[in-house]
Amino acid sequence: MTPPPALPVRRTSPRIVLVHTVTFRQARQLVPLLIPALAATGLGGGATTVVVLAVVVSLISLAAAGLSWWRFTYADGPGAVVVTRGLVSRSVRTVPNDRIRGVEVEAPVLHRLFGLVRVRIDAAAGAAGKDEEVLVDGISRAEGDRLRMAVLTHRSPAGSGAGDMAVVGDMAAGTVPPAEEELSRWSNRWLLYAPLVGSYLALPAAGLGALFRLAEELPDGALDALPEPDVPPTWAIALAVGAVVLLVVVGSIVGAALVNWGFRLVRRGGSLVAVRGLVTRRHTELEIDRIRGAAVSEGLGMRMAGAARTTALVTGLADAERRGQLLPLGPRAEAWALTHRLVDDPGPLVRHPRAALRRRIVRALAVGLAVTAVGAVLAATDGRWDVLAAGGALSVVGVLLARGLYGGLGHAAGPRSFSVRSGWLVRQQAVLERRAVIGWQVRQSWFQRRAGLATVTACVGAGSGGYAAVDMAADDVPGFTRAASASWAETLRPPDP
Amino acid sequence: MAEHHGASAGGVSGRTARLTAMTSLPAPVREPAWSLPRSAIGLWATEGAIGAVLLWLGIGAFLLFVPASVGGPVPVLRWVLPVLGLVEAVLAIAIGPRIKHRVHRWEITAETAYIRTGWLTQTWTLVPISRIQTVDVTRGLLQQMFGLATVSVLTASSQGTVRIWHLEHDVAQRVADDLARRAELVRDQAT
Repeated sequence: MTPPPALPVRRTSPRIVLVHTVTFRQARQLVPLLIPALAATGLGGGATTVVVLAVVVSLISLAAAGLSWWRFTYADGPGAVVVTRGLVSRSVRTVPNDRIRGVEVEAPVLHRLFGLVRVRIDAAAGAAGKDEEVLVDGISRAEGDRLRMAVLTHRSPAGSGAGDMAVVGDMAAGTVPPAEEELSRWSNRWLLYAPLVGSYLALPAAGLGALFRLAEELPDGALDALPEPDVPPTWAIALAVGAVVLLVVVGSIVGAALVNWGFRLVRRGGSLVAVRGLVTRRHTELEIDRIRGAAVSEGLGMRMAGAARTTALVTGLADAERRGQLLPLGPRAEAWALTHRLVDDPGPLVRHPRAALRRRIVRALAVGLAVTAVGAVLAATDGRWDVLAAGGALSVVGVLLARGLYGGLGHAAGPRSFSVRSGWLVRQQAVLERRAVIGWQVRQSWFQRRAGLATVTACVGAGSGGYAAVDMAADDVPGFTRAASASWAETLRPPDP
Repeated sequence: MAEHHGASAGGVSGRTARLTAMTSLPAPVREPAWSLPRSAIGLWATEGAIGAVLLWLGIGAFLLFVPASVGGPVPVLRWVLPVLGLVEAVLAIAIGPRIKHRVHRWEITAETAYIRTGWLTQTWTLVPISRIQTVDVTRGLLQQMFGLATVSVLTASSQGTVRIWHLEHDVAQRVADDLARRAELVRDQAT
């Protein structure tokens, strides 16, 4: 797969050297070397040493960035994308176009200042393997769009040679804008859902945690030196708690806004294009032919507010959790409408047998009852009642949790698609096309066998690789697997007695 | 396909009966028809024996270097560990391999590769030949001594892997060639 000699070899923009110098992109690898060196010499010289050190580090960073820019070239031809890099050992990576699964154009804030973008080209590395990624970092926005177009156009199997090239030329010149259809558009009201989403909440919470750790590591004197606030402690504590809660809520909203601002999902020809982000603009392109289904997930908090997120399940997409997002956060109705535009609705879910609920209750009660038993012994011998009370509370919570988990279970098989749902803290329902199934796995533990249940996993070459109908009725397994895939699943049907 | 499984196919009905008797409850899906060659029992027993030797080396070291006078649980452990070691050795060498031989089953049908494993927790895995991406035959050191090989059938899903342990080497090679050839014929580009 060597490119024809006529292929123009391209370079990234020299401006990227500045970006990488500032961000220490290449020099970062030297940090583990620098730290022991610093520890050995010490920082004895005061301000001068610090300045000299800063200059030296910047120069090293500049040199490293310059070298890697100098040694990096790329070329995109009708057959493959070729990337050459490396200082001493040259590495040439050739990615055949039919292996390319998606192209993403990113513009982080520094890149935007310099008018640059970063293009990520995803390639499947073969059987059940990891995905490879080619990164062309630091080309102009126009060149980024050209590269994306060229790669995606070459990839389509139809058309060949000169005709294909002509199309690319047209597209690059912008004379033939492909028809666009908007599927979803961000509404700023959706930001109000952010405090209910665990992943957005985690960010400001982590920041607060870091702040507390910092406060702990301050020398004791530093805190004592602060003037002792002369306020009644109860309402001061309430104020502090209120402030923290407010901070976390605002932080989660800001975080969600940073990532999702201006989200827009459009269908352009055979691709879905998602654009989002406030500081870093992200442009993700998914090929519709490779979409096998969608997953709608709702966290506990999101369910209370009627919010959901939709992720496309795409074959051979690395980092699918982030890139496959079709609706990062929005009303449930919107999420489902979007899902059903991509995959047929397989109909209402079939609930799993009561035995599945009993299994969950038994599991949940095991902990609560064990604590209760210990508590009963303590109450009898020691006169302590707190452990017993905790055991009782744990049991009640366990039963509620078990009911919640059971309520999440379900599966359905429709004429062209099927669906499985599970989870309580994060309830996820995957809706998949029948052709997505590349295997079935049926599991049955000893307890499941006694209860007449089985867990059926649809093996899928997209998303997490497998989607399970947990604890469905064992008798329904052959029927469901047959209805949710093709005639080959008849192999599973037991012979009639 | 059937011709090179003639030997194993003979014992199928009897073994299936025992299998059902052992689990006492009907399986949710059909059992694959073929069992592994008897020599797999020898291989598993050898593996068990190696494990037991290592375990007994550990127990021996404990008995030698930790005298009962240390106190605490040691005097009890000096009795319990050898007994546990003995039980483990019997399980791993004499009983385990026979159970494994009963619960490992496989079948290649016109459209699929199908296996079943596991004793307490049973797992059945079915992969259509049209979705097979690669077929590997691997032979470990012990497997070579027993003339056995493993056939791994890989798909685009990490969970959709069918691994047929311990087939006779020539059978494994024929199965792999046959699967690869048929996968080529009916290959479904969609993954």
